[in-house]
Amino acid sequence: MDLGEDVSSLFGKRSKTSSNSTVNRSRTKGTEEAPTVFNQKKCIAWFRQYSTPSSPDTIGPEGVEMFCRDLNVEPENIALLVLSWKMGAKQMGYFTLQEWLLGLTDLQCDSLAKLQAKLNYLHSLLLDSSHFKSIYRYAFDFSRDKDQRSLDIETAKAMLGLLLGRQWSLLNSFFQFLDQSRYRVLNKDQWCNVLEFSRAVDVDLKNYDVDGAWPVMLDEFVEWLKVNRGESNIQ
Amino acid sequence: MRIRAFPMTMDERYVENIWSLLKNAIQEIQKKNNSGLSFEELYRNAYTMVLHKHGERLYNGLREVVTHHLESKVRQDVLASLNNNFLQILNQAWNDHQTSMVMIRDILMYMDRVYVQQNNVDNVYNLGLIIFRDQVVRYGGIRDHLRHILLEMVVRERKGEVADKLSVRAACQMLMVLGIDSRAVYEEDFERPFLSQSAEFYRSESQRFLGENSASVYIKKVEARINEESERAKHYLDESTEQRIVAVVEEELIQKHMKTIVEMENSGVVHMLKCQKTDDLHCMYKLLGRVADGLRTMASCVSAHLREEGKALVNVDESGANALNFVQSLLDLKDRYDTFLGKSFVNDPIFKKMISSDFEYFLNLNLKSPEYLSLFIDDKLKKGVKGMTEQDIELVLDKTMVLFRFLQEKDIFERYYKQHLAKRLLLNKSVSDDSEKNMISKLKTECGCQFTSKLEGMFKDMSISNMLMEDFKNHIQTSGTSLYGVDLSVRVLTTGFWPTQSSATCTLPLAPRNAFEVFRRFYLAKHSGRQLTLQPALGSADLSAIFYGPRREESETKEKADGPSSSTPTSASANGPRKHIISVSTYQMCILMLFNTRDRLTYEDIMNETDVPKKDLDRALQSLAMGKPTQRVLVKSPKGKDILPSSIFAVNDSFTSKLHRVKIQTVAAKGESEPERKETRSKVDEDRKHEIEAAIVRIMKARKTMQHNLLVSEVTEQLKSRFLPSPVIIKKRIEGLIEREYLARTPEDRKVYTYVA
Repeated sequence: MDLGEDVSSLFGKRSKTSSNSTVNRSRTKGTEEAPTVFNQKKCIAWFRQYSTPSSPDTIGPEGVEMFCRDLNVEPENIALLVLSWKMGAKQMGYFTLQEWLLGLTDLQCDSLAKLQAKLNYLHSLLLDSSHFKSIYRYAFDFSRDKDQRSLDIETAKAMLGLLLGRQWSLLNSFFQFLDQSRYRVLNKDQWCNVLEFSRAVDVDLKNYDVDGAWPVMLDEFVEWLKVNRGESNIQ
Repeated sequence: MRIRAFPMTMDERYVENIWSLLKNAIQEIQKKNNSGLSFEELYRNAYTMVLHKHGERLYNGLREVVTHHLESKVRQDVLASLNNNFLQILNQAWNDHQTSMVMIRDILMYMDRVYVQQNNVDNVYNLGLIIFRDQVVRYGGIRDHLRHILLEMVVRERKGEVADKLSVRAACQMLMVLGIDSRAVYEEDFERPFLSQSAEFYRSESQRFLGENSASVYIKKVEARINEESERAKHYLDESTEQRIVAVVEEELIQKHMKTIVEMENSGVVHMLKCQKTDDLHCMYKLLGRVADGLRTMASCVSAHLREEGKALVNVDESGANALNFVQSLLDLKDRYDTFLGKSFVNDPIFKKMISSDFEYFLNLNLKSPEYLSLFIDDKLKKGVKGMTEQDIELVLDKTMVLFRFLQEKDIFERYYKQHLAKRLLLNKSVSDDSEKNMISKLKTECGCQFTSKLEGMFKDMSISNMLMEDFKNHIQTSGTSLYGVDLSVRVLTTGFWPTQSSATCTLPLAPRNAFEVFRRFYLAKHSGRQLTLQPALGSADLSAIFYGPRREESETKEKADGPSSSTPTSASANGPRKHIISVSTYQMCILMLFNTRDRLTYEDIMNETDVPKKDLDRALQSLAMGKPTQRVLVKSPKGKDILPSSIFAVNDSFTSKLHRVKIQTVAAKGESEPERKETRSKVDEDRKHEIEAAIVRIMKARKTMQHNLLVSEVTEQLKSRFLPSPVIIKKRIEGLIEREYLARTPEDRKVYTYVA
């Protein structure tokens, strides 16, 4: 990226928007960029750095990889998931131009530096419980195969690890349960209920309501866990 | 006596005089010397006293006199008689007292009406009672002794000894009266100790009775005792005691030991049930009905035994299981218990309900009950039911319907019933259309139209097929088409009404195959757009056969020809060719026709040429080659029980039968084999999934939103006339519908579902 180019475009725009500019206040270390106003053209140009001439309006998996490297985040980093959510990206590993613009306009980022500055903010969204729920639900559709209704179990486990790894102590038990079960996919209802379960049910399972309309899979998980813990005699 | 003007004042002396007079009179009365007294004079004097406001003096004076008399005379007399005619003396004193008090009261009536009223004190008579009570009856020694004597009388009576009943009664009545407006005196002085002594007595009686070790004896003794106590209370004590003493007996003899009696070995309820002792059971029923929970105790014992009996009948193992015996034994059991219900338990609803729930319980323990029930009904609707009139059969079917009501898996029954009905209709085995339709209307009453509409469709198909065959025959005649020497009869079945068959086809012999083609063309010309598929498993054929070999030696077998003896074949010689008509199944026809062109065939050959499914092929060959000698149209070599691919089959040239028309009995498959049963069950499970989902959608469409538990119970309620879905299965179906987006969870509460339009 050419710093000079950035600055020059800045000058070009300043007179127009100086009265109601929203100046990007945060500075990341290592860049000496003056805060600028969001520039759509610039954003698009940035997009085009990752898309290919054959499909100029879509960034594919390789482009995404490059993007991540430039951004200095791993592709598995949850910030990327949050960003995709902001964009409303339909498919993991792909960004369309529309999605890109939607998300980055909302974040008011038209450059890597600005986006890097926003990473903390993206992380913080996860701390809000209703945003988290939204992101969690989004993750299902985002990561599933578009011609399948359900999410295959391995991908599901990966996403669950990413999202709930730090906050649900029963996650590993749940994985063990899935491994020994006959479940090969998770459907959306099951997916959503796992989050509810992790929030509502205590580790000792004492407040698990058998009449709580939990999906059968979770009833089975509880039963399996109780047997495993030696608390149940029922086979 | 001078008649004086009414004195306006009264001086003390005058009052004193009057009182003296009265006092004297009272004392005379008490001494039973009243004959010399003038009632009018005494009354007037008392009146005068009261009128001049000396009522109080009169009253107190009265009290004094009476008290003194009772204290110093009467009480002493009674005390003296403690060991000598005590009751008589006491009763006598009591009677005397009453008599004199009446007279005294009469004299002092004005005081009763005026003074007593105004001052709210006891009236004369009651005052007398109180004094008698306190000074005589309740006086220390007398009170105790009275109680003692009365209780002793009761003891003696209970032992069967003679007691002075009249005295006892008089004493009790006295106590009652002495309570004035309550029965408290009687209660305290007699009844309470009586009841507690009785309780103790019956406590030990109960042990004695139990020692006899027979429930029916115990019951009879208890009944006797209750009657005895009842009578005693009514006649010799006070009537009001009857209820109380009976309650004591019931408590000690029944309530405390009812479980023991009911469960007594070799004589209790179980014994009575086993030995059909309806009368003894009735006695026990009456007895236990007296106490709370008595009947429930009895009912639960009956229930436990019934369940055991039922379970034993129902847990017949596979090899021994016979549908007809299974159902018949249950019908017999029901009959037995209905008799008990009517004769012993007087149709008590507690028992009625319990018997029903017991039957429901064990009938459904055996998963094959629905199939067996259908087979039983099938047997009764087929031709050739021996030894039963139409009314008998009607009765049996009604009783079978009672069992049907107890079935939880009615949808499985429906499936089997369809199968069995189809066989009856197609193989022409029904006794009559009327009896079939009768049965269907019974089922309709139980289960509604949905159950029976398909069955009715089957009947329609049969009659339409008959008409069709008429048309076809006309068509053949008028058009002169050849049917290849086959007298064809076709039944067209609408798929959907009839039980689905595995569409196994086989290779038909040429002639029937061609004949059928003629029909197919004829039918499709009438109904283009339809498809006809031959169902060989359901067909039958009559083959005309000629056997050229020598007759089978008659001395070899004992052949009893029940049926009409066949007309001897045209050639008079016993060794000529024998013509028979062989009635077989379609599969058997395919096999036999092969032998028109070949002498011997291996099993494998037959299989390849006919394409009959292995299971059916084996059954067909068994019936043709390994049944009774009068049925053995084919011979198999090598001999033996097994059919191997290498077994060789040939026509039995020596086949002989007294009958011209020989029906080959197929080895009857009573009930399904295990794999077939598993298949049926999985089909049923599939159907149930759909029924559950349909119910869920129906309910949600109407209600729009519903909470999970409510939905589950609504679904269960709607389906319970067909089968009992478990909540887990319903939940799984709900999840399936969520996945297919018919339902969704509401965002606010994940336990509430909404219908997605």
